[in-house]
Amino acid sequence: MAEMILEVSHLTVCREGSTVVDDVSFSLEAESDTALVGPNGAGKSTLVQAVLGILPRRGGQVRLLGHPLGARGQLPAAVRDQVAYLPQTIALRGRFPLSVAEFVALGWERAGLAVPWRGRRVRRQAVAVALEKVGGEDLAERLVSDLSTGQLKRALLAFCVVRPRRLLVLDEAQAGLDAQAAEQFHGLLFDLRRSEGWTILQVSHDLEMVRRTCSGVLCLNRSLRCSGSPDHALSPAQLERLYGRGWVPYHHHHPGVSRS
Amino acid sequence: MPDSAFDPASLAQLLALPFMQRALLAGLLTGLLGGVLGSFAVLRQLSFFSDALGHSALLGISLGVLLGLNPTLVLIPFAVLFALGVNHLAGRSQLPTDALLNIVYSSSLALAVLLLSRVRSYKGGIQQLLFGDILGVSWLDLAVILLLLLGAGGYLLLTRRSQILLTIDEPLAISRGVAAGWHRLVFIVVLAVVVAISIKAVGVLLISAFVVIPACASRLVSRGFGTYVLVAALLGASCAVVGLLASGALDLPSGPSVVVVQLLGFLLALLVAPRRRFARP
Repeated sequence: MAEMILEVSHLTVCREGSTVVDDVSFSLEAESDTALVGPNGAGKSTLVQAVLGILPRRGGQVRLLGHPLGARGQLPAAVRDQVAYLPQTIALRGRFPLSVAEFVALGWERAGLAVPWRGRRVRRQAVAVALEKVGGEDLAERLVSDLSTGQLKRALLAFCVVRPRRLLVLDEAQAGLDAQAAEQFHGLLFDLRRSEGWTILQVSHDLEMVRRTCSGVLCLNRSLRCSGSPDHALSPAQLERLYGRGWVPYHHHHPGVSRS
Repeated sequence: MPDSAFDPASLAQLLALPFMQRALLAGLLTGLLGGVLGSFAVLRQLSFFSDALGHSALLGISLGVLLGLNPTLVLIPFAVLFALGVNHLAGRSQLPTDALLNIVYSSSLALAVLLLSRVRSYKGGIQQLLFGDILGVSWLDLAVILLLLLGAGGYLLLTRRSQILLTIDEPLAISRGVAAGWHRLVFIVVLAVVVAISIKAVGVLLISAFVVIPACASRLVSRGFGTYVLVAALLGASCAVVGLLASGALDLPSGPSVVVVQLLGFLLALLVAPRRRFARP
């Protein structure tokens, strides 16, 4: 049996008095690439944030790499190190005096007290390698607040790749990118997943990309509506159940890619 | 800087005076402290919070005077409780934080003046509270500021990773294992204590300048986080020293002189800051 990287059972999350995620259970095998899809307001971001301990949960259990997530999001530091989160965006207001290299270095450093110069040489090396992996060598000295959306995504990916991770959780990674940049980003993510051996859970609205690249799909609308392979979970009948009657599937046109 | 206005002989005399030496040291330490804490506070949008803390400190002092206690002793616990209370309110209420802080600071100022008006015998005088009395700083005051600088500096240095992550994005910080709620609270308490301690030297009205102006000037010109904090601290310290020397030589009020020198530093930073970086939407 394959190793389970993430196990979620009967997860329920409430926000401002109403149940946003209701009794959701699923698990992710090592090196799988699973998409979380569903209409706006379906609780997708809430679900991934609760899985990471960013939002508190009302009920249920979450196990990351076999370790239970504490009620207030506690997780052993060694497990935390192996889990990375890519938010939709980071909202920096005004000039933020932090270079990309410094930002990526923060992804390398471990939790706990430490003097800034500890492991400086190894850290610098790791940052350089990470930036190279995402094709962002030229960004090292730029300020994080000066980056375009596409460059910021690269910096965030470098932040994740700077240390070996097992699980990567992405919340609408393609948000704010134009079609070409989104394509590039997913190409990069796809390559890194294979070379780094990442297990991926990603919130996505791009069903076409999900069909092409993901190994599994979770359809969420407050509760889990269906799950399985993209062919099964994204069939017209299932999509109508998820998004409602009259929903017209939106397809990007990808020359040379056949659709099932 | 009006260097030509200094008379070297009188400046040397001035520097030989113990109260002036203490004042310079106090300015140096407060400037460093304000710069370091301010660099985080400004990025976390807490600059108005430090202003409100300063104003509320006046209420703490007047309570102390009214109760016949040492105002400084009352001030620290009062500032901490006040900061925690406002932080709690800001998290709970539906109002924007700046509006809430405005209510808090103007009403505590009003209450403080009303309370002080009942105590005619108070010898310090409201003028001194508003603008500070850095020339009246004692060795004990200095030791307290130094301890505070070491404590706050050590805390920020050792938790640097958590502090920066928290300043960038809270969900991202939590996902990296940062105890966000705890660190935010500790930072606010440290800020409150620093503001309370610095009131005696800098005054209620000007304390937030020490936190905000050097950090903002540094933010405009720094190319990385390390330099940002360092430049803010050095700018805070040097503006305080230059301002105090100028006030001594030109016989001007000390606190406002320091703030005017800080303003000059900020304007200089505006001039040398690369233009294109303002263009980001």
